[in-house]
Amino acid sequence: MARPNHIEDALVKMHSRQWFTWTDSKNKIYANLRLTDKVGIDGNIVDNLVTELPTESAINAKLKELQDAWDAANGG
Amino acid sequence: MSKTTIPTGGIADDAVNLTSKVTGTLPVANGGTALSSGFNNGATTEVDQWRVSAEFNGTASPIASNWERSDTTGYGKHGTGLTESSGIFTFPSTGIYIIYAQMSVQFNEEDTDSIMSIATTTNNSSYTAQSTCREADKNTDGRKHAMSCMAVFDVTNVTTHKFRIDAQSVASSNTVGASSGETITGFTVFRIGDT
Repeated sequence: MARPNHIEDALVKMHSRQWFTWTDSKNKIYANLRLTDKVGIDGNIVDNLVTELPTESAINAKLKELQDAWDAANGG
Repeated sequence: MSKTTIPTGGIADDAVNLTSKVTGTLPVANGGTALSSGFNNGATTEVDQWRVSAEFNGTASPIASNWERSDTTGYGKHGTGLTESSGIFTFPSTGIYIIYAQMSVQFNEEDTDSIMSIATTTNNSSYTAQSTCREADKNTDGRKHAMSCMAVFDVTNVTTHKFRIDAQSVASSNTVGASSGETITGFTVFRIGDT
């Protein structure tokens, strides 16, 4: 497993399902991060269960946590 | 049976109308090189590829967002292409289609049954898994597994015959791979003939 190095690595750890999207998939920066309107659950399209976008600092903190854990596990 | 004699000196440019009065099978000229274009003869008339552009953990049934048409350098859509709304894909025309789907899962926790399905509907309402693939791993060190499956779909009506991709039973800590630069999780569709 590669060392986490992007905020998307942190986002997938904060909630499960397709709760976030990007306004520009080629430029995945915090300013382009949005909540999805709908998610697919058990064959149905329903409202996203996540209703609040995390702050940039919260995402960066999560990424740092993942990097520290990876470094510890890989002799860093 | 009436016959027309070709007059001495040839015939007028507009005297032969190929929209009618032509029967039989047109032979292929020497080596087939004469039929270089303009002849379909059942060849593939649609090729389209879509992918998921953002990773997610756990299930998505259906994968309802972050779909985009492949745009990696060298990619070339053939034909009109599909349309997508909330993970439901609509075909551009009737016909027999092959759907080839692929999904990558990174196993961060043990999972005995991660599933990807191509689910189709013939009434624009109820979906049935037409083709399914499964992967599992007891390890928790982030190993990645790829799965793929294929479906043949007779699309007799583009309003009622649609499909979606389901990622089911994926453990909440496991990550479905995705990228906006290459197709990691996604599908390719080929139209191979008339319905």
